Amino acid sequence: MRPNTVGWLMLAPTIAILGIFGIIPFIYVLYVSFHQWNPFGASPDMIYNGANNFRRLVFDTEFLTSIAFTMKFAFFAVLSEIALGYLLAQLFMKEFPGRGFFRTIHTLPLIVAPIVVGSVWRLMTTPSIGIIPYLLKSWFGYDLNIGRDATAAFALTVIMDIWHWTPLVTLTLLAALLALPKEPFEQAQIDGANRRQIFWHVTLPMIRPAILATVFIRLMDALRTVDEVWMLTSGGPGAATRFVGLHIWKIVFPKTDYGYGAAISVIVLYLTLVMCWLLYVALVARRERKRTF
Amino acid sequence: MIKKSGIGIAALALSLLAGVMPAQADFWSDAGAKYKGVVLRGVTESTPPSNYIKDVLAPEFEKKTGIKVQIETTSWDQMYDKAIKDMEAKTGIYDMVYIEQDIIYAYLARNFLVDISKSLKDDPSLKAPEFNETHFTTFANYFKNASGDLFGIPMEAFIKVYLYRTDLFSDPKIKEAFKKETGKELAPAKTHQEYTQIAEFFTKYGKDNGTELWGTTAQAHTGHPASWYEFFESIAPTYGLYNWGIDAKNNFAASVANGGQMNSDKAKAAMKYWLHLRDIAPPESAASTWTEVGTTFAAGRVAQGLVYGENAAWIASDAEKSKVVGKVGVALPPTEPDVLKEVEAGKGYLGYYDGGAFGLPVTSKNKQAALLFLQFIGQDSVQPDWAVAAPRITNTATYDDPKVVAMDKKLNGYYTMLKDQGKLFAGAPPFPFHAQVREATTPIFYKILLGEVGPDEGLDQMAAAAEAELKNLGYRK
Repeated sequence: MRPNTVGWLMLAPTIAILGIFGIIPFIYVLYVSFHQWNPFGASPDMIYNGANNFRRLVFDTEFLTSIAFTMKFAFFAVLSEIALGYLLAQLFMKEFPGRGFFRTIHTLPLIVAPIVVGSVWRLMTTPSIGIIPYLLKSWFGYDLNIGRDATAAFALTVIMDIWHWTPLVTLTLLAALLALPKEPFEQAQIDGANRRQIFWHVTLPMIRPAILATVFIRLMDALRTVDEVWMLTSGGPGAATRFVGLHIWKIVFPKTDYGYGAAISVIVLYLTLVMCWLLYVALVARRERKRTF
Repeated sequence: MIKKSGIGIAALALSLLAGVMPAQADFWSDAGAKYKGVVLRGVTESTPPSNYIKDVLAPEFEKKTGIKVQIETTSWDQMYDKAIKDMEAKTGIYDMVYIEQDIIYAYLARNFLVDISKSLKDDPSLKAPEFNETHFTTFANYFKNASGDLFGIPMEAFIKVYLYRTDLFSDPKIKEAFKKETGKELAPAKTHQEYTQIAEFFTKYGKDNGTELWGTTAQAHTGHPASWYEFFESIAPTYGLYNWGIDAKNNFAASVANGGQMNSDKAKAAMKYWLHLRDIAPPESAASTWTEVGTTFAAGRVAQGLVYGENAAWIASDAEKSKVVGKVGVALPPTEPDVLKEVEAGKGYLGYYDGGAFGLPVTSKNKQAALLFLQFIGQDSVQPDWAVAAPRITNTATYDDPKVVAMDKKLNGYYTMLKDQGKLFAGAPPFPFHAQVREATTPIFYKILLGEVGPDEGLDQMAAAAEAELKNLGYRK
């Protein structure tokens, strides 16, 4: 085996950036998570307290609630985005007047910063002032009040996320669909397969890697969503939209409980990795194992 | 001859004066010359007074000194987030940070700020001739340490007042209807009972007449601490509950059982009163912070309300933003019957005397240049226009300026109230753990707002949570 100096040299900037901005901060967060540290406490110093922060979060109902809401949010948002994104991608595969225009228009939410998305949705949903409560009231007699209705507020955060991120899914799946060879589809049609069978047995297996990559990206994003939700509901009403990213922000910044906030961050990272691994095992590894037998 | 020599002496004196005068008048360019090219960075909350610094004072200072000033105006949360991160990590990004009155104790405890008085004493060449610490109102005392040294230049100060719609309160038909319904004359409320009665009347009036009018504002956001602040800083004191019900002298007790007041009968009565007002306020109240309360009032959607003074001027005078220009009256907040006497005797306060200062972080890399800017915004001469543009007064001389006197008339005596009755209001309690106790108790507070837990039980839980947090922080033994 010969040493690949050029390869390592080319990788060096990436490794350096990853080390400086990823690995070192992570090690520091891990270190802080084993300490009690609140700079506004009677003693502002870092005090080693073993695994107490991790023990504390197991019994912290606010944290557990935020985890539960985050999972629910990620499930509904990512599932809807994949389904809608696929449908839109299929739509954009077809020829129709103005296709190019609609393709461009539908990607516009992607270029808007999350904080702006949150602000705009807040303006649109503020009770009495926003266009959405107004229309819902005029058309269906429904009073939308995100300050009081926890279910409505939660649903709006999901809808906002879908609005913002479905175009990403559409673009990814559209690229995957466009890259598919025509032969397997023609073959399936000759063999008499109907549209559902073609989708299930030809399209889906062929675009599976693209779907998986998109699910991973969106899942990780959904699990750490903060800014959009902060602008829209500030985590309310009550704890209904206090997702774990927002919970960590509140613990670390306003409350300045750095040790405990670090412990939660570590656990959330661990949970995200476990979820992605489970998903990978369920959707990829098992299938590959089957294929080898 | 005498005449000629007299003229000559006068000419000599004039030329000498001409040589001296520019040096005196041009302190800013002389002092700024040393720091030409320096770029000062400040972070503050996006409020009318801060925007005035950004849009007017900073460019003016830049013109006079050659020192560039970049003021970043952002949301209240982000402002703290950025400032604290910068000072904590010692990155030195900011040369000026906004210090709201309630965070000063925490910043002083952490030695985040430069002692302005001492710095100017140590280097007299930096002292601007027109800047004088004694010219500030007593509000500046909140930014001093035990030795009387100043750690922040007051840049905004206002009280949270009771605003009411003069057009509605003086409308003969409405007055008659009110009298018919309640048997009383319609006048700004002095007690909670009167306030509730007026609020109920106007909400019903709006409903009966199909107009978008409600009886009161309510800063009752169910996910933002603005609601927590409205309760503890504006409502609870009018029931005689001060300092959030935490007794600093009694081992930081919060619960009645331990000697605190957070879950006292007064607190519970205040909570029930406020929850009722929230229920008859406009629907947006459950999603309203201090900003939205101002806009709700300005939109003409309420007959009365407790509004931060920083919003009072534009509500009363800016026709581009407000629909109620010239229709705004100002009064003291309503109280329980004996509370006003208690407050006048100096045993409590009526509501929140809010405001802030610009401080200089010890981590700043441009301390001298920043000291110049801080003095620039603290001078008497820049105050009147600033007070007219944004309703804040930090220097005593500002009250008597003709521009401010004229504005006071437009505001129906807001500045007069600030001057004469400002003493009835108080800043936040001198605790270094504001955000910590607030964040520990807000989850329960929001549950009370949502009806997930009753007010009595909720306040009991909040008092226990506050004590637990204070113990965790090491203040409560």
